[in-house]
Amino acid sequence: MKELFKRLKKFRRECVLAPLLKLSEAVLELFVPLLVAAMIDEGIMKNDNGYIIRTALIMAALGLSGLLLSVTAQYFSARAAAGFAGGLRESLYAKIQSFTYAKLDSLGVPALITRITGDVNQVQTALNLTLRLLLRSPFVVFGAAVMAFTVNARAALVFAVLIPLLAVVVFGIMLACIPLYGRVRKALDKVTAKARGGLAGVRVVRAFGTEEAESEEFSREHALLTSIQRRTGRIGAIMDPAAFLLVNLGIFALIRLGAVNVDSGDMTRGELVALYNYMTQILVELIKLANLIITVSKGVSCAKRINSVLVEESGEPERAPLPEKPVPGAPLLEFRGVSFRYENAAADAISGVSFTLCRGETLGIIGGTGSGKSTVAELIPRFYRATEGEILLDGANLDSLPESELRRRIGFVPQKALLFRGSLRSNLCWRDENATDEELLAALETAQAAETAAAKGGLDAEVEQGGGNFSGGQRQRLTVARALVGSPEILVLDDSASALDFATESALRKALKKDAAGRATVIISQRTASIAHADKILVLDDGIPVGLGSHGELLKSCAVYREIYDSQFRKEAARA
Amino acid sequence: MKKLSSGSGAALRRTARLLRPYSALAVLSFLLAAGGVVCALYIPILIGRALDLIIAKGEVNISAVTPLLLRVLVFAAASALCRWGAGAINNRVCCETVRSLRLRAMKKLQKLPLSYLDSHPLGDTLGRVITDSEALADGLLLGFSQLFSGIVTIICTLAFMFRVDWKLALLAAVLTPASLFTARFIARRTHAMFTKQAAIRGEQTAFIDETVSGQKVVRAFGREEADMAAFREINGRLTKATVRAVFFSSLTNPVTRFINCLIYAAVALAGALFVTGSAGAGLTVGGLTAFLSYANQYTKPFNEISGVVTELQNSLVCAARVYELLDEPGEEEPDGEPQMPPAKGEAALKEIDFSYDKSKTLIKDLSLSVAPGNRVAIVGPTGCGKTTLINLLMRFYEPDGGSIEIDGTDVLAYTRASLRANFGMVLQDTWIKEATVRENIALGKPDATDAEIYAAARDSHADAFIRRLPRGYDTVISDSGGLSQGQRQLLCIARVMLRLPPMLILDEATSSIDTRTELKIQDAFLRMMRGRTSFIVAHRLSTVRDADLILVMRDGRVIEQGRHADLLAKGGFYAKLYNSQFE
Repeated sequence: MKELFKRLKKFRRECVLAPLLKLSEAVLELFVPLLVAAMIDEGIMKNDNGYIIRTALIMAALGLSGLLLSVTAQYFSARAAAGFAGGLRESLYAKIQSFTYAKLDSLGVPALITRITGDVNQVQTALNLTLRLLLRSPFVVFGAAVMAFTVNARAALVFAVLIPLLAVVVFGIMLACIPLYGRVRKALDKVTAKARGGLAGVRVVRAFGTEEAESEEFSREHALLTSIQRRTGRIGAIMDPAAFLLVNLGIFALIRLGAVNVDSGDMTRGELVALYNYMTQILVELIKLANLIITVSKGVSCAKRINSVLVEESGEPERAPLPEKPVPGAPLLEFRGVSFRYENAAADAISGVSFTLCRGETLGIIGGTGSGKSTVAELIPRFYRATEGEILLDGANLDSLPESELRRRIGFVPQKALLFRGSLRSNLCWRDENATDEELLAALETAQAAETAAAKGGLDAEVEQGGGNFSGGQRQRLTVARALVGSPEILVLDDSASALDFATESALRKALKKDAAGRATVIISQRTASIAHADKILVLDDGIPVGLGSHGELLKSCAVYREIYDSQFRKEAARA
Repeated sequence: MKKLSSGSGAALRRTARLLRPYSALAVLSFLLAAGGVVCALYIPILIGRALDLIIAKGEVNISAVTPLLLRVLVFAAASALCRWGAGAINNRVCCETVRSLRLRAMKKLQKLPLSYLDSHPLGDTLGRVITDSEALADGLLLGFSQLFSGIVTIICTLAFMFRVDWKLALLAAVLTPASLFTARFIARRTHAMFTKQAAIRGEQTAFIDETVSGQKVVRAFGREEADMAAFREINGRLTKATVRAVFFSSLTNPVTRFINCLIYAAVALAGALFVTGSAGAGLTVGGLTAFLSYANQYTKPFNEISGVVTELQNSLVCAARVYELLDEPGEEEPDGEPQMPPAKGEAALKEIDFSYDKSKTLIKDLSLSVAPGNRVAIVGPTGCGKTTLINLLMRFYEPDGGSIEIDGTDVLAYTRASLRANFGMVLQDTWIKEATVRENIALGKPDATDAEIYAAARDSHADAFIRRLPRGYDTVISDSGGLSQGQRQLLCIARVMLRLPPMLILDEATSSIDTRTELKIQDAFLRMMRGRTSFIVAHRLSTVRDADLILVMRDGRVIEQGRHADLLAKGGFYAKLYNSQFE
């Protein structure tokens, strides 16, 4: 939890002051039984009404000071907790932004979102409670014991025996429960997942008539949850009665011992009452403490999860110290024997891929599902780093170039067409903040999205979260436009026309070709029609390059390419 | 407000009914809780009496103190036992109630029409089954038992206080509500701050959700800094609002504590004066001590009750949500649940009208008849009603007008399950159950032998990739990960190949499978479709060419039908669609 403590240091002042003020308040509270004792011994026994009134006023004054102290403490505590949580969220967000694609894959996006939202909130609550209450309770317990000793050391021995006993019972039960809570949580997660699965797949479940089996499995998972829950509850239910019984045993011993001492004159009646009051205070505080610790322990497990994200390496390997210089005359983009393997994967996703691409050229990449097409695309802007071989941009190793340069020179259209909340303009200006409206409209025109944009209300049209107010095909065309803004040198289209009908796709292809001056284009597709016009076509089969050449050459020389082509055109050709 | 309370009343009554199997236990739990409270509250009185026997040096009646103290122990033990019993019973009743509620909800889900499930967000329905049922049990059961013991505590404390000294009791009873009003006052004031905090938090969560989910795209365009700035801005506002909300709400405790402290001082003052006799008479030191410990405890149940009431209101809302789900009418089946026999495969749609949103007609007067064993392909632009046709055939939805007949009998005559057993279905949206590959393939035929499963996997060309998985057919897969979309479709095809029902529905079944693999499965597909009536929806026109009948749909109507060559020759909408892929 080093990372978290480091960030907590910023709130050192609040974190010290808040508990300190709370402790002062608790001290004041500890004086109350003493005042009651004095009231009895000095006031009542001596019939001194003036003393009684003065003592009551002191009690009220103590209450007022207590109020002021604790309000100030609450303020510091709220500031520390909220500020710390805010800082954590920011650190986490920044950390997530530093992760490489490979890191994002292995950590999982939903988990990261939970860390930054739910987990941080839990930590905030836990910290607030810790500062305000957690430190106070043990202090009151021990303070009460110390005060008891100052009142009457002999009788206070009861406290010395009772407090460790209570501590063992309360914390013993709690410690037994905390891991059980974890198991309850896990079992509940499984039950939820089961229910979610059944709901998400309801059509399949009904089509195959497995409703009953689904219900039965749910019931089985739930039986497990219920049994753990009941066990946890049974253990937890012991705590309160056990503590209550122990304290009353203490009271029994205390008063029995006190009776003897008062009789012998070693102790006054008021002192005995004070000791009795301390005993009840201890009971109340211990139960509070136990409940608190459960909340705080949840916070701690969240904190640990957050910490594990913060200490995670960003996944960015060491880079060559100096950017390599472009080599004159080198092709714009070159793959030299490139292989890549995903983390934890058993086999390479692609192996031994080589090709060159010059300005103004188009490269098509084709292959079956899982053949590694997208992997090649994602290596170009260095979303992932090649595990073997070299990728060169103008003859300079890609790894030596700063990320900002890659982003500026390469326009990427991802497979999943995602837009972000804002306006059409804010979405399109991603590559170039200062793009003029003319540039944006031209990009829309090329991407065959001008009509869509106009229909939605132009560049200022609202875009909902994830682009939910646009259809899949519209989103695809808009993401193409987004990549075109700022005139990239290389345009990578990762299966970016899959949701378009054939007519629209062919119009897009023509428009891209028309304004391609000096731009190299990489098109990935499953359709031969989409890439047949390319200058070069790379054919991948299970990650291995099996062909590189023009459409005509490949039809002659590459069996896989011919099979793909035939699967899409054969019968037409036969009939024609 | 009135409506809410009558709704709450209904929810309360139903919850009471829910508890009926545990009524004996529930009553016992209440009695135990009351017993625990009474026994615990009696202890200060006993101790007060003991203290009155301990006056000063030489004035202690030890022989009388000891039996009083032993009684303290007896009552403490009795109270502890009662509390333990009540806690244990509550825990059990609570767990069992949640469980039976969830099982009932789950059963109901299996019976709900898809129109319900499609129109309610998954998270909402799931929330009703999981979270709301728990809140119902926790809130209503534990809430009531807390409320009950709180009330018992207040009544008993008052009674005991009045027994000790009625004037002091009156003083305490009159002053105490002051702390409650203060707490209420603060809560009302802070409510607005919490609402504001929740709104900003919601805004931030949406932002995080969007930009972290789309992180790869954000990075592809180097948008990190812009996002970070936007995040910082929201985060700053959130932190500020949180400090305010947390601080002001946390004022409740110190302020009420202060007021309680004043009351305590006032009671101590008056009590002490009573004892010395200057303001009345009859109170002893022991009595005052007992009284002070009551005064200390007296305010606690009030605070708890106001907390419990808020929680009860909250859980009533949850309860209403759970009951709403349970009350949702399920799909009705014909009397006697007649089973549809294995079909020959003649299908007819007669003058079907249908729409999801009843204000907008989607399908109007659609008629269609298919001979047994025929292959029907349905094509047309997005939103033309292709998938709707499948929803109707599978009876996921019921037509608003007209009828569907299989082998000349209206499908309404049979149970849905037996109708669906006659169809094998592969959808574009694949669903993988969290289970092993083997179990996933055998989904519709749990008693299939390994040999059958392997054969189905081989036919669907899934065998090769399955064997490459870490544990082969025993690899646990799930909907959320591990397999590519194409691999998932291959598995779904294997499921149907294993079961081989008399009719098939393939809705974009191969949309994510590359054409080369598709071509390889094609043989198996053709074999599977031979002699089976098949409905095929496809975006990719290459897969529909060989159909016996091609239906071209547009805006909920069949605008052209016939064979591929005829339609092409006709030069209509189909020809236009088809030719665009070669441009």
